[in-house]
Amino acid sequence: MSALSFRRVSAAVLVVYGFTVLEAAAGPAEIAQIKPRQDKLRDMGGALKAITDEIKKGRLDWDNTILPNAQTIKDRSAYLLNWFPKGSGPETGKKTYALPAIWQKNDDFVKLGKAAQAEAVKLNDIALKKDEAGLKAQAIATGKACKACHDSYRSPDYEKENEE
Amino acid sequence: MEAALADTVDLRVWDVPVRAMHWLLVIGIGVCWWSGVNNELEYHTYSGYVVLWIVLMRLYWGLVGSSTARFVNFVRGPKAVLDYAATLHRRDTPHAHGHNALGAISIVVMLGLVLTVVCLGLFAVDVDGLYSGPMSIYVSFKQGRHIAHSHYYWFNILLWMIGLHLAAVIFYLVYKRQNLVVPMISGKRQHRGEAGHAEMKIAPLWRFVIGAILVSAIVYAVSVGFYF
Repeated sequence: MSALSFRRVSAAVLVVYGFTVLEAAAGPAEIAQIKPRQDKLRDMGGALKAITDEIKKGRLDWDNTILPNAQTIKDRSAYLLNWFPKGSGPETGKKTYALPAIWQKNDDFVKLGKAAQAEAVKLNDIALKKDEAGLKAQAIATGKACKACHDSYRSPDYEKENEE
Repeated sequence: MEAALADTVDLRVWDVPVRAMHWLLVIGIGVCWWSGVNNELEYHTYSGYVVLWIVLMRLYWGLVGSSTARFVNFVRGPKAVLDYAATLHRRDTPHAHGHNALGAISIVVMLGLVLTVVCLGLFAVDVDGLYSGPMSIYVSFKQGRHIAHSHYYWFNILLWMIGLHLAAVIFYLVYKRQNLVVPMISGKRQHRGEAGHAEMKIAPLWRFVIGAILVSAIVYAVSVGFYF
């Protein structure tokens, strides 16, 4: 084997080894989480917006808007913590706002996730009761539970291009 | 020395509303910047309304305010701007009374940018769907998120424009030995016998009050998304 082809072969081996290591850190299953995770979180954000819009307008359509959207937030949030498997962060090389701190301080992340789930359940209860007085406060409490996690574990909104 | 002093008189150049709006805008944009970066969106919304109020008042004052505040008196055509730009390197040019031809462009561009950024903010939606702009009820979550990103983009351009404005003020101070900051505080500047500088014509207070009532009504209507 000439010196030149030896160099080529070893370079190729190194490249393949590099890809293998990367794959081990962020497998296809983890990468596959990112887009659906963004879609589901966006649905939840949109659902809370639909509720806060009704509050802002001062016209509450319980059956067509408040109830279904509160239900979306509650149902989706129940699975929230499954969407962040280890290795589905920026190490995938994909565009994601998820910060490595999610896995570095995972106990705190899980605590905030569960707090958000609890607020979503309360919001859904209020929607079922059509409790007009309680709705505004609980919509804010739910939004703040989302925000608590985003403030610590999501890249600042202005730092990246818009998500698609 | 005494003879030189005898030649200088204080000439009124900026009225109280112009000075107050200028410095309130500085504070308002500062609060918006801080609250935006720190995701304090409740304060961000309120400071945004204050900035909207100031910009609309400044536009109104640019139509009916004191002489140096009016757009017709300081916005100049391309020839005047080029003529002025050609003398920029000279130190012996007379002090412009009010905005100079080049500065006028910067004022109009900055006001336009502030208005653009505020209007985008009115329609912007935050990631939580919680503290969205009051007009975001007219757009979808996804559209509002796109608008939020345009809001950041144009704010960055505004920051560059503000940087240019500050650089120009420093250039006049250091190179041309003209202090533009003191007149923006005191309202007066020293007049060294340049010809053709008439005293500022001050607009009556009632005009400001009428504008303030009108603009407050507009900002209120916007803040509730035109849902009364």
